[in-house]
Amino acid sequence: MIKSFRKLTSMSLILVMMSAAYSHVQAADFPSKRVTMICPWAAGGGTDTFLRGLARNTEPFLGQTITINNKTGGSGAIGHAAGVRARSDGYTVTMVTFDILTLPPQGFVPFTYKDYDLLMRVNMDPAAITVPIDAPYNTIEEFVAYAKANPGKIKVGHAGPGTAWHLAGSIFAEKVGIDLAYVPYNGAAPAVTALAGKHIQAVSVSPAEVRGQVEGGTVKILAVMSDERVSGFSEVPTMKEEGYDVSFGTWRGLAVPNSTPDDAKKILHDAFKKGMETDAFKRFAADSGLGVSYMSAEDWEKDLSTSAVSVANTMKNLGLVR
Amino acid sequence: MDIELFIEALFGILQWKPLLMIFAGVAGGILIGSLPGLTATMGVALLVPFTFGLPFNESIGMLLGIFSGSVYGGSISAILINTPGTPAAAATLLDGYPLSQKGEAGRALSMSVFASFVGGFTGALIMTFLSPQISQLALEFSAAEYFGLATFGLSIIISVSGKSILKGIMVGFLGLLISTIGMDPVSGYPRFTFGSMNLFEGPAFIPTLIGLFAFAEVFKGVEQLTTTKQVVSKISSVFPSLSDIKRTWKDMAKSSVMGTFIGSIPGAGSDIAAFVGYSEAKRRSKNPEKFGTGQIEGVAAAESANNACSGGAMIPMLSLGVPGDAVTAILLGAFVIQGIQPGPMLYKEDLDVVYSVFSAMLVANVAMLIVGFLGVRFFARAITVRKSILLPAIFIMSIVGAYSMRNNMFDVWLALGFGVLGYFLQRYRFPVSPILLALILGPMAEANLRRALIIADNSMIDVLSRPITAIFLILGLVTLIMSILRQRKAHD
Repeated sequence: MIKSFRKLTSMSLILVMMSAAYSHVQAADFPSKRVTMICPWAAGGGTDTFLRGLARNTEPFLGQTITINNKTGGSGAIGHAAGVRARSDGYTVTMVTFDILTLPPQGFVPFTYKDYDLLMRVNMDPAAITVPIDAPYNTIEEFVAYAKANPGKIKVGHAGPGTAWHLAGSIFAEKVGIDLAYVPYNGAAPAVTALAGKHIQAVSVSPAEVRGQVEGGTVKILAVMSDERVSGFSEVPTMKEEGYDVSFGTWRGLAVPNSTPDDAKKILHDAFKKGMETDAFKRFAADSGLGVSYMSAEDWEKDLSTSAVSVANTMKNLGLVR
Repeated sequence: MDIELFIEALFGILQWKPLLMIFAGVAGGILIGSLPGLTATMGVALLVPFTFGLPFNESIGMLLGIFSGSVYGGSISAILINTPGTPAAAATLLDGYPLSQKGEAGRALSMSVFASFVGGFTGALIMTFLSPQISQLALEFSAAEYFGLATFGLSIIISVSGKSILKGIMVGFLGLLISTIGMDPVSGYPRFTFGSMNLFEGPAFIPTLIGLFAFAEVFKGVEQLTTTKQVVSKISSVFPSLSDIKRTWKDMAKSSVMGTFIGSIPGAGSDIAAFVGYSEAKRRSKNPEKFGTGQIEGVAAAESANNACSGGAMIPMLSLGVPGDAVTAILLGAFVIQGIQPGPMLYKEDLDVVYSVFSAMLVANVAMLIVGFLGVRFFARAITVRKSILLPAIFIMSIVGAYSMRNNMFDVWLALGFGVLGYFLQRYRFPVSPILLALILGPMAEANLRRALIIADNSMIDVLSRPITAIFLILGLVTLIMSILRQRKAHD
């Protein structure tokens, strides 16, 4: 009995060593098995849609299948945490979202974006100020004038406390010096519905999220918070054109846990970049109303280091920091 | 209504390929719905990417098939194993499970199919003919009205309380207390989470449901493994009897119309509709005290109401571009990807698309009726399986179901915890459904009251004096007082 137990132990030891040696070989011809991608948001949402489209178009360049694991809950905290904790062999890629900037100041997670090695940013959707079609203002300037004359009277709907769209309204109000009231909804869609029903005076969500109502003629976009005009909404001016230095939006990007081998990171980056640049993916993203916007890991890291500070400051003003 | 164009669209759906997709969708939907932990939302969300390449008629047929099938499917496990397969079936088990315990699983299942068809088809008909008129209702509802609706819904706790209203209210408040766990809807402050990010959004609903019903049922079953006799289930016919239809047609008609309206209000879903339908059938009944002991009217009312909701939820999605619930939100995305932007313009520019959707919804409900009847004999056999085999199977499936909702092991422990709670509640004859109602409606009432107060500059009078809100609140109060008076009378 004991003898056979010993035999078993030594056998398994050899097996472990063999597999360790094997995995060392693996690093050279990465990826040699399927890649898992963590989506911190539920199936069917914007992040999930973008990720599934990107994964499908990247598989041929990666030479492996990609499976998507929706680890949801905790306002994205659970998925982002799972991504940080994942094995740093390059086989687990997380789609990190804007929320990785808002979760740490709220004291919800013990990690920041720095616990990830960034691969690239893939998407950016600016915020916009949208109002009912018959509102007494037709430009963002008139909106600001009205808000100054009626402090606190304009109720701005957003997608929930601490979300990008909550901060968007606040950052805008801060910059132009107006006093707005914020109404939290459970996501962007119910906020837009309330706007269409004229129960609130404005929403601070993305242009894509109000597209249906714009085309239906129930609402109008006054200005977008991006540096350039948004394709599909070329008649809408940017805040900067109107004289307000406000640029803000939500974004999504790809990241792996710290200390992932550099060659694996490069292979992943190149494959996903090629997937992003396929016509099929571009068409898919445009149809889904999601903005494709590449940013290299270095530029993205630089961008995050400044925006993390400004996001934390805005959250402090909103009473969201603990 | 352009009848000629509608008939053309209907024939477009009645081709063999779209029909095949509808039947496949319905069968898959019934399966998804009957498994606790797999919901219509997940089924549709995961299939949407596969429908991109398909022609419009086929993809919409498949998606609406899943949608319709899964709502009915939820009632199968509710009737057979006392566990709602989807939240929408939570009201069905109140009388469905007692029926199957009496050996009348076949009767309950066939009535459930039939009522689902009546509700679903009525909802689809109302959607076909009255969409533009009803869609305006969705926009009338502001936060204050939702608060009113949720508060009225909470008064239904009384009618699902069984013998003791007091016990029902106690459990209802326990549910409300549980529903405060998680992030504050306005400030985002995490309440009662003990620092665990797993609880930021409150106890996940599906695992909670699985715990309270499926695990509790398994625990109870283990205890009685050697003492109870196997239920003998005889099925004389897979169709509901004429006398059952005669008994229930009024309840079904009422539930169907109410369900469609509730469905058309964004954010109020099939779970709420089913309870409202059930409560109304009980109120109308000559012997309301028999509800909860296996009244066929209870099954008929709940199932017609929750299936009618599907058609209702499509109304604001198509005519305003505003999704009525989680499933239609995903369908909206699927439409946009197909190059179709739902909203008022759709009715002006692409009427043929609108009519195709109407036709697919009508046909999907007929397909559900056919597949459902074919399945009755097969499903009912589940209950004749030996308990020593059935219980472990339910146990394992429940663990998988609780896990798969968020791919999170925490949810399995959560479900087991709620299983223990559910077991003791049942053991000491507390009703379990009030917790469920409180978990659905508590957050809705709280978030909307606070939203309404922000909009009304913190004036409570302004919130409560809105006409629709006031009507709902008065209705809730009347329900409460009437049932207490009635119980007093019964005691005397």
